[in-house]
Amino acid sequence: MTKVVIIDAAECIRARVIGPTGAEHRRLANRVMEEALNRANLHFEEIAYVVATGYGRINVPFADRQITELTCHARGVYQLFPTVSIAIDIGGQDAKGLKIKKGKLVDFVMNDRCAAGTGRFLEVLANTLGLKLDDLGGISLQATSKIKISSICTVFAQQEVMAYLAKGTPLPDIVAGLHDAIASRVVKMITRLKIEPDVVFTGGVAKNIGVVQALKQNLGLEVFVPAEPLLTGAVGAALLGKELVLKARERGEVIAAKERRLEEVTFFR
Amino acid sequence: MMEQKKKKAINRLQTMYPLRANIDKMYERGVEASKTGKPTAWCMVNWWEADPILKAMDVEVVYPENYGAVCAAFGTAPAYLDRSDADGFPTHMCGYARNCIGYTSRMTELGQIPPEAPMGGMAKPFLLLCSGALCDARYKWFQALGRYLDAPVWTVEIPHIGVAESQDPATRAQVIKFMVKELGEFVKFMERMLNKKMDWDKLAEVTDDLIKVNRLWHEINELRKARPCPMHSRDFWSCMNASLYPAGDPKESLKLYQDMYTEVKDRVDKKIGAVANEKYRMLFAELPPWHDLKIFDELADRGWNFVVESWAYHPAKPIDTTKVSNPLERIAAETYHWLTGYFDEAYKAKEYMGYFAYPYLEWARTYQCDGGLLHPLLTCRTATNHLMLIQDRLLNKLKVPTLVAEGDIVDLKLFNHAETMRKAETLEEMMDHYKQKRRDEGLEW
Amino acid sequence: MVVNRKGIERIKEIYQDRASRAQELKAGGKQVMGYLCIYPVLEMLTALDIVPFRILGQMSEPITKADACLPTIVCPFIRSTLDLGLKGKYDFMDGVVMAHVCDVGEKTSHIWRTYLNPPYYYFLDVPHTTHLAAQEQMKEQIKTLRQTLEDFTGKKITAAKLKQAIDLHNQQRALVRELYDLRKPDPPLISGAETLQTMVALMSIPVAEGNDLLKQVISEVKQRKNKLSKKPRLLIWGSIIDNVALVEMIESAGANVVMDDICVGSRAFFPAVAQTDDPLDGLAYRYLVELKCPRTFREATYGETKKDYIQDLESRFGYIKEYIRDWNVNGVILQAVRYCDIHGYEVPAVRDYLDHIGTPHIYLEHDYSEAALAPLRTRVQAFLELLG
Repeated sequence: MTKVVIIDAAECIRARVIGPTGAEHRRLANRVMEEALNRANLHFEEIAYVVATGYGRINVPFADRQITELTCHARGVYQLFPTVSIAIDIGGQDAKGLKIKKGKLVDFVMNDRCAAGTGRFLEVLANTLGLKLDDLGGISLQATSKIKISSICTVFAQQEVMAYLAKGTPLPDIVAGLHDAIASRVVKMITRLKIEPDVVFTGGVAKNIGVVQALKQNLGLEVFVPAEPLLTGAVGAALLGKELVLKARERGEVIAAKERRLEEVTFFR
Repeated sequence: MMEQKKKKAINRLQTMYPLRANIDKMYERGVEASKTGKPTAWCMVNWWEADPILKAMDVEVVYPENYGAVCAAFGTAPAYLDRSDADGFPTHMCGYARNCIGYTSRMTELGQIPPEAPMGGMAKPFLLLCSGALCDARYKWFQALGRYLDAPVWTVEIPHIGVAESQDPATRAQVIKFMVKELGEFVKFMERMLNKKMDWDKLAEVTDDLIKVNRLWHEINELRKARPCPMHSRDFWSCMNASLYPAGDPKESLKLYQDMYTEVKDRVDKKIGAVANEKYRMLFAELPPWHDLKIFDELADRGWNFVVESWAYHPAKPIDTTKVSNPLERIAAETYHWLTGYFDEAYKAKEYMGYFAYPYLEWARTYQCDGGLLHPLLTCRTATNHLMLIQDRLLNKLKVPTLVAEGDIVDLKLFNHAETMRKAETLEEMMDHYKQKRRDEGLEW
Repeated sequence: MVVNRKGIERIKEIYQDRASRAQELKAGGKQVMGYLCIYPVLEMLTALDIVPFRILGQMSEPITKADACLPTIVCPFIRSTLDLGLKGKYDFMDGVVMAHVCDVGEKTSHIWRTYLNPPYYYFLDVPHTTHLAAQEQMKEQIKTLRQTLEDFTGKKITAAKLKQAIDLHNQQRALVRELYDLRKPDPPLISGAETLQTMVALMSIPVAEGNDLLKQVISEVKQRKNKLSKKPRLLIWGSIIDNVALVEMIESAGANVVMDDICVGSRAFFPAVAQTDDPLDGLAYRYLVELKCPRTFREATYGETKKDYIQDLESRFGYIKEYIRDWNVNGVILQAVRYCDIHGYEVPAVRDYLDHIGTPHIYLEHDYSEAALAPLRTRVQAFLELLG
């Protein structure tokens, strides 16, 4: 999904757009940008600085700079929750734990090699159960108990879930068990960061209330979720862009006046 | 006495039970000893190089490798593994080691043996004793415990000469000289640690006892060459730790093994097999799936008798070291012989992995095996490195087919029971085919 | 073929086709011997005018043949070396000196002999510890190596020839240090990727030739017009890197790799052989004690009866602190190839030590394939952002 956030000098968000999902859309960042510009009623030439982040950051030809999603998330989360110490981001393909001190990223852990502990895990298992991904959270709230998924591997977990289904275990209990599995996996991953409050949870999976609850239980801590958990990275990118511009101006430098054209990417690495 | 409600497919040895009970008391003794202030060392399997010295100096020993299997069986391993992961140890490494690291991390945090620790737990050690034998990563493991423990680490040397290189008689003498020197240093170190002198007579006695234990254990296993094989691998694994670790008082073990010898010999004489209708004589490599040993019962129902197994846990072929007066030299000679005992034959056969791999080739002949079950372990390279080589050599040199069933030492879910049973059927067809083939090619079984 | 390229150009040429020069020399009547890891004593080969050729893997080549004799859960680098051997890529060698390096290296050495049985083969059993008796044992092993080489070639390694070989190798070691000094300025005069290519090249040609080439490289680099730009200065630690892909990825993410602690780099070249009455003493000490692969067990103090963790770390990793100081390092990338146990156990300890001395670090695990490097890029970049 391509997201665009435009902010002004007062750090007011002038536009926020979440573009369509899918690899085929990734190279069409320019279209999402155009829509954001329309909504903000701005011309591209009026944009002082563009920071691209996330997996597709190298596919944004009109960006002035690329910054990783880790740094951008940290900045975005800090803006929304100034007391944040740990940020957990679970997206479709990866899971990250960020240690943030005074708004600065100081350490991180990341899982991007295995589907377990990412949104992909839920996606695969929702499929197995014949459920819609978006419905999982609500369903799990009806659980009276939860199953224990013993395997961390998505493929094996699938087999376990099928066995529970065959046994007639109620769906909500199975879904709650899946949420617990993903939460405990992520908590294990981030333990090395030495978890302290406040904990903020972002990314697509943070929209799932069941996983939020499971995270709270696994951590034994309150977990804060921003109103738009998908946008923290983009917000952070915009804020970092603004700061770069301001810093440059303070030093009297002209920042990145390279010619930008709002076009789709034409090369692949 | 022999009445059983339901007849099990494997006819277990009655003498196995007291032996196993004696082995299980190891942890209890360690914890009890630490309560009375007696020093406890954590030690890795060292193939009798350090054990006699520790026993002679009255040090209580526990074995974290064995404890890894215990934690896996009792279900406490996953929490310890998670803890090791959280402390930053890569997950691909040895399950026993990570279990131990997690356990130690938790023990250090609590300042005491963790309450959930099975079998009374492992008491805080005053010494971490490593061995260079077979798996080099093991001394890295104990060294890594330095994050949690202030116990010093000592590594006992044992050279791993190549098969061809071992053929020069000067090499053996030279290696033993080196081992004796190092063992001498180890004794001096222990004397300083414990602030007492080595009782050399006692060392000579303990060494002699252990050699006798190993010889007897070897002879019991030799009896398994009989048809039908009187003793199943299950009994080997149940009892090996009295020799391998060695758990328990050697004199007590000697008596228990003696009883076992009598029972096995009696079965040989009466042609009683460990499996009622021995159809396939099998070998197994390396560590078994501890949590799923019942699979051997199911296989026994199909006439599979496991007649030999686990090279690394077998004692040496006997040699006569009784004339060696220095116990350290005797220890060195025995352990060196354990490692290289098959090298001469391996050299003649142009097989250059004279430990781990070649012994199976020899055994396949001498125990007249029809097939093998190989068990690669996801986190144990040492027990896995050589398995494909074995598979290739057994099949292509000796026409003995094998089955590979993957598993792990602590991640118990990896072993796929149902799939292994399915593969077993296929292997039977292959075993029948290759039996004929061996005959056609003039092999003797 | 006429060798007309010089300096870095020549380095790159050798790096691209590393067997080419050895094969050429072989065709001209020289003997070439392969060796595994950094423990085989190269001076013995050089003293007999044999070309030492390090057995390396090929990251970009899929493993096909080794699958049949080495399981997938072992070090993919070692698997790659065996795979190349089985494919006949190392057939030009007259023999190999294998060694008890790590567990997998040891077992693979035996598998190598079983399947490939080269005309000359020696298995150097490197002791596990650095104890005095172990040093003597190492010396005995080197003696046997010398003996078997003499038997194989029918030539004698005289005291004079050995001394000459030691001098040549020491000269190379000094020249490598000189090259590494050119990484000390900010920005460094030579990139991490070029340095790595140079190290690979040196391990593919005779030592004297390597020395001449190094001299060319050093003077070329000193006079460079196109300077690198200032970027965060990194030290890269860990298991073997024999392909520039990883270092190039790190450098293209916005860093200068200015120092390394790997075995195709400082680990292999920094320690020199000391002059001793019996040259074998100096050789044994250098190869057993001074080579700093974690495969060897070291205690802070021999026979220590109480362990002090920080003292232990200091004795094991103190040299890294010196590197960080002398090369003005901003951050350390710890990396290990998956299934490398000996480096794996070391990682938390090195991190503890770097925390202790206050140097930021990140740990990367990879599986020895170019394709798998892409996801690591984000981590490296985030680490650089965290440094900046």
